[in-house]
Amino acid sequence: MRNRARSFITIAAVAVGLCALIFLKAFIDGADHQMVSNYTDLFVGHLQIHKTGFQKNMGLDKSINNEESLSSVLRKTPSVEAFSPRVKEFALISSSEGSSGILLLGVDPEREKNVTTLHQKIREGENLLPQDKDQILIGRQLAENLGVTVGDKVVIMSQAFDGSIAAAAYDVKGLIDAGAEEIDKNLAIITLSAAQDLFVMERRISEIAVRLHQLDNVDSAGRELSRAFGRNFEVLNWKDISPMTYQWLQFDQVFTGLILFIVLLVVAGGILNTILMGVLERTKEFGIMLALGTKPAQISLMVGLESFFLGLAGALLGAASGTSLILLFNKIGIDLSAISDALNSFYIGSVIYPIFSPLSVGLYAVIILLLSIAISVFPAIKASRLSPIEAIRS
Amino acid sequence: MSLICSVKNLTRIYHQKDSDVAVNALDGVSMEITDGDFAAIAGPSGSGKTTLLNILGGLDTPTAGEVIIDKTDLTKLSAPDLAEFRLRKIGFVFQAYNLIGTLSAYENAEYVALLQGVPQDRRLYEAKQLFKDLGMEPYLRRRPSQLSAGQQQRVAVARAIMARPKIILADEPTANLDSKTGSDLIELMHAMNKHLGITFVFATHDRMVMEKAGRLIQLHDGKLAGDSLGAPLKT
Repeated sequence: MRNRARSFITIAAVAVGLCALIFLKAFIDGADHQMVSNYTDLFVGHLQIHKTGFQKNMGLDKSINNEESLSSVLRKTPSVEAFSPRVKEFALISSSEGSSGILLLGVDPEREKNVTTLHQKIREGENLLPQDKDQILIGRQLAENLGVTVGDKVVIMSQAFDGSIAAAAYDVKGLIDAGAEEIDKNLAIITLSAAQDLFVMERRISEIAVRLHQLDNVDSAGRELSRAFGRNFEVLNWKDISPMTYQWLQFDQVFTGLILFIVLLVVAGGILNTILMGVLERTKEFGIMLALGTKPAQISLMVGLESFFLGLAGALLGAASGTSLILLFNKIGIDLSAISDALNSFYIGSVIYPIFSPLSVGLYAVIILLLSIAISVFPAIKASRLSPIEAIRS
Repeated sequence: MSLICSVKNLTRIYHQKDSDVAVNALDGVSMEITDGDFAAIAGPSGSGKTTLLNILGGLDTPTAGEVIIDKTDLTKLSAPDLAEFRLRKIGFVFQAYNLIGTLSAYENAEYVALLQGVPQDRRLYEAKQLFKDLGMEPYLRRRPSQLSAGQQQRVAVARAIMARPKIILADEPTANLDSKTGSDLIELMHAMNKHLGITFVFATHDRMVMEKAGRLIQLHDGKLAGDSLGAPLKT
């Protein structure tokens, strides 16, 4: 510890390694959280309530006719922040230049604002008003495919609830640019009342999209609502609605764990290298100590204690610097706009905000500290087994 | 005077790495050192002086023979027991001083006493006294790199004496010093021998050291070639 340069290098190796580890973890956690958050915020919601079987086989025959009773339960559920009734059905959209299969959504524009952020993604034109009857929002890519823009007319065709042909013409009021292909290419939105009129559904709805106060509570809130609504209704969280997204996230977490493990190995190699170099550099010094009567076990203990204190200093410094970096970038974000298109497709967004988790910081700090101690065992044993004469001559 | 050291038929054979060549560094050496001796082991390079000193200090083990220091047979001790023995009974002064570079002169001197469990206030008091006697008082807090060769060797002597050993083994202590500094150092150790009664054994080929020694043991090709036993050998 008296050799400041050597101690600094060892502390720096531990600190930089830990800082990199916890920042990387926070970055990936931030990206994952943003992906789930953006995915649920944009369109899906935290939970969706349907008639049982709707998710497997979507259709107006599985519509909900007692929205008010479900709404009263939702209003009384503390974990629920907001909810929005919707009509949802496949349809055909046509213009003078072409046609395309779409997912048509009927929403109450004011209530939908409290559940999703679709209204924020309108890049041209305006959002719908609750009283709009013949206005429609469509995805920008869909508009390009149909050769229409704001103010142009499109025709929607589908099958109504009573089996008749549902058809109506709408003026394009706004273009949605969410950055996600499935929305920009396949989604069209009209008001809830317009959709109920189009499909002759009276007061029926297809689903209720729910926003919770805490996204992390989807499982428990889902179970609670499922119990309250009974067998006739399915309460699905975003994982049920998009198993692909959930599986991708799970894969990402396993992959991330692997990357972090590899980083950990690299960090461990760096620490081992600096500690071993420190021991090798001091071979003569240990030889002198042994010659003067220091016991081999005392040499081992000294190397071990030095590694512990250097590891502790490095871990504290690394945790502090890593936490500072996370908190800084949590405020200002990390702009990855150069690859923003790719990130938007995964709902992550071009600016990533790392998430500070005291548990992660503490866990990695302890792992690095234990690692520093564990990998000092070999150099410590090596130092204790030196022959004093050979070590002094080295 | 009682015997402090006795060796019988001491043999040390080194095997060179990656070859079958064996070097007979010591060949059946037998001798005794009396408590309070100020003895020099002399001989040309390769005669076995350093090997003998290392074996007497428990830093090396003989291939054959017996080494008794202060009634303890060193060949029967394990590595930790040998370390404990060196800590309590032996003081070393090396040719290249071998101070610990990251410690100050005072810390180097007190190192062995620290291992022995001597309380800090006593260590500090004794070190200050010793540094005063050695003319090193102003250099207590300096690191070895900030000291001259002679000053470093004085710190090494202070370290050996601080341990209050039975015997101090000095391997060519004046080899890296100019004649004046070397002479002063030997005078100093001689004074310590007289006043503190510490036994000194030198390995040397320095004529000045041989003249000062109370006894001259001569080695040649690993064998005992002569022993003045009491009177300085005039060569």
